[in-house]
Amino acid sequence: MSSQIAVGNRLVVAPWRAVLARTPGVAWILGLLLLVFAATSRDFLSAGNLLNVGQQSVILLMLALPMTLIIMTEGLDISMGAVLTLAGVMLAWVMVRYGSLPLALAASLATGLAFGIVNGSLVALLKMPSFVVTLGTMGAAQGLALIVTDGQSIVGVGATVESFYSGRLAGVPLPLLLGAGSYLTCHLLLYHTRFGNYVFALGGNPEALKLAGVRADLYLIGVYALGGLMAGLAALLLTARMSSGHPTAAIGMEFDAIAAVAVGGTSFERGKGWLFGTLLGVIAVGVLRNGLNLLSVPSSAQVACIGILVILALFIDGWKERR
Amino acid sequence: MTAVSAPIPGIPLLELRGISKQFPGVKALDDVSFAVHPGEVHMLLGENGAGKSSLMKVLCGAYRADAGEFFHRGEKVAITSPADARKLGIAVIFQEFSLVPYLDIAQNIFLGREFRGRIPGSVDRRRMHVEARRILDLIGLELPTQTPLHTLGVAQQQMVEIAKALSQNARILVMDEPTAALSDRETERLFAMIRQLQAEGVAIIYISHRMAEVFALGDRITVLRDGRKVGSLLPREATPDELVRMMVGRSVDMSYAREFRSEFGDTVLEVKGLHSDNGISDIDLTVRAGEIVGLSGLVGAGRSEVARAIFGADAVTAGEVRVYGKLHRGGPDQAVAAGIGLIPENRKSEGLALIRSVADNLNIAALRRRFSSRVFGPRRARAIARALVDKLRIATPTTLRPVQVLSGGNQQKVVIGKWLEAESRLFIFDEPTRGIDVGAKAEIFALIDALVRDGAAVLLISSELSEIVNVCDRAYVMCQGRITGHLARHEISEEGILKLAMHHE
Repeated sequence: MSSQIAVGNRLVVAPWRAVLARTPGVAWILGLLLLVFAATSRDFLSAGNLLNVGQQSVILLMLALPMTLIIMTEGLDISMGAVLTLAGVMLAWVMVRYGSLPLALAASLATGLAFGIVNGSLVALLKMPSFVVTLGTMGAAQGLALIVTDGQSIVGVGATVESFYSGRLAGVPLPLLLGAGSYLTCHLLLYHTRFGNYVFALGGNPEALKLAGVRADLYLIGVYALGGLMAGLAALLLTARMSSGHPTAAIGMEFDAIAAVAVGGTSFERGKGWLFGTLLGVIAVGVLRNGLNLLSVPSSAQVACIGILVILALFIDGWKERR
Repeated sequence: MTAVSAPIPGIPLLELRGISKQFPGVKALDDVSFAVHPGEVHMLLGENGAGKSSLMKVLCGAYRADAGEFFHRGEKVAITSPADARKLGIAVIFQEFSLVPYLDIAQNIFLGREFRGRIPGSVDRRRMHVEARRILDLIGLELPTQTPLHTLGVAQQQMVEIAKALSQNARILVMDEPTAALSDRETERLFAMIRQLQAEGVAIIYISHRMAEVFALGDRITVLRDGRKVGSLLPREATPDELVRMMVGRSVDMSYAREFRSEFGDTVLEVKGLHSDNGISDIDLTVRAGEIVGLSGLVGAGRSEVARAIFGADAVTAGEVRVYGKLHRGGPDQAVAAGIGLIPENRKSEGLALIRSVADNLNIAALRRRFSSRVFGPRRARAIARALVDKLRIATPTTLRPVQVLSGGNQQKVVIGKWLEAESRLFIFDEPTRGIDVGAKAEIFALIDALVRDGAAVLLISSELSEIVNVCDRAYVMCQGRITGHLARHEISEEGILKLAMHHE
């Protein structure tokens, strides 16, 4: 049983090696990006810009966190960008009409949650492929957003909403606090609750979960519901940032979210997931977008760069594993 | 065959009466009655497909019995879900592990039964690790309980699986070949643990293929065959030979008898010292032209792995494969070029493109040969397919039918036809009659016979001992990844094969 002891020793005696063995792909890439942009753009390393990167990345983080869980269950939610957009539009619409922030936030969260539950139910109960289900709900959410707004922006959401993006609490920008709160919540959920254990099991061995007498389908619905709810919450930041509800505001953001999760080392197989990797992945995508903006690279080319980023990260991880 | 039965005094902890379970086309369990007493190790024996696994799944609530009753300490109970089974104190150690790769050992042990923390929904991790440690110490697994499961070897995973069952404070423990992946030392430890549990009054149902274990551990032995109970007996009344006879004892089905010849052609396939990543080692075998050579053994003995290694589907780590004396290496494309055709065990996933037509499937392995200009001609492909459909008598109205609507027997013929068209000279059949009805079985064997009469060579893998006995000119028997015996035509018998497959002297 020498391998056993070796595994044990490696974990006990040299934990840094275990950490190193897991980090690389995304850490290397993040380091590389920081170096490149620090060298090519004078403004990049300024405190103001770095804060800006963090602030802009929060919305993406709020999508990428639940996306990590969904991907761990071997699923995918491509409706997230559209649901976020619709929730933002709902929030703006209620805010303009009734002027009540709690009511507007409730509308936004309810919209996200409803889509999440529909996605999850179709996947878990009717065993439909998640890609197809969320492709359908993506279209539905996008269409609804256009109907509600009649294709126009809903303006005049008011200073209260806007303050969620620009405001500070104890000197820290509010979006960063919201992002930190979201990350912490998801971390506790994934690593310290029964729900979290079952997320690992849903991807790794759903049969074992059923044999353990757990209602696996309900937990799977819960995973998608969490995704919807987080999109509903992110809608507050989105609307605050744009000072309006725009019917195409976050279309395609699921692409960045999935990319961030993949860059972060979460696998589409066997329930392998890593939430901290997703955080790093989100920062990497945010840094890349910001750096390319500073270098005046058009956004169409940015998408291509993110694609290359994903492949590069997976390549490094795969290479390390084979070695 | 007499069913010897020695009653044990006292009320059984769990008793099954007249359990039946039907699947489409198969009666997996037929009127099985069975009882375990506290502190008893009850060995369950049977050939592949005898109904052991089905019985186990009924016991743990994964299957629902169609008929029959359960009694717990003499009281009638129902087992219709895993939760029911757990309430009765039944825990199962599965052979296919019920473990989650990216959870740690403690989380796996307590999956679905996590200790609750103070905050609703949270898990008391500290207590889980303390409890897990206690159980691991009990079975002598020295790993930290925080070790992620995917870093463990198979034997260690098996130990975790055992720990998981123990942690449920099971009163009735069901084990499905728990030693299959264990080393001798770990096996000893497991046995010591079983004896300790026994002393504490736990009833153990132990499924095994190994005679030595049956006699070392068993207080009572029940033999199943074809979903029926053949008999229950005490170890001192039984001999290994008698148990093997009880497991086999099937009336021989002569529907596919063939004429055996004594003259064979050149050696077509020669395998020497073959090792592969999939746990097979030291495989030596030959197949000559005009010969059907059997490869027998119990499920998991490594037969399919040999086929895959020869075909180049799994990486070969040592040894050589020669086809017509020429060294063959490389992947399946090279194998096809060398004239090897593999009729795989999982016809639907590995042998056919289910939603494609009969014509497409028949042509798929011969595209390069038939369409050397690299332009596919659908009309020509259909003509080729029609000729094969006629030759093999595949029952399909047109060659444009998707293969998934054909019966199992006809699907199998399509797979065979595919290799005929590719001009294969060596056919490896892996469980060719699985899921095929009796009439079609005879036809498949007639086809195989026609192949060898035509000078082809056939390697036949089968779990049905009667098939090996009735069809093969020679047979190899495997056990735990190695060849344990080589039988000439006159030596092949079901008892002989089973003895070698279970590797008891």
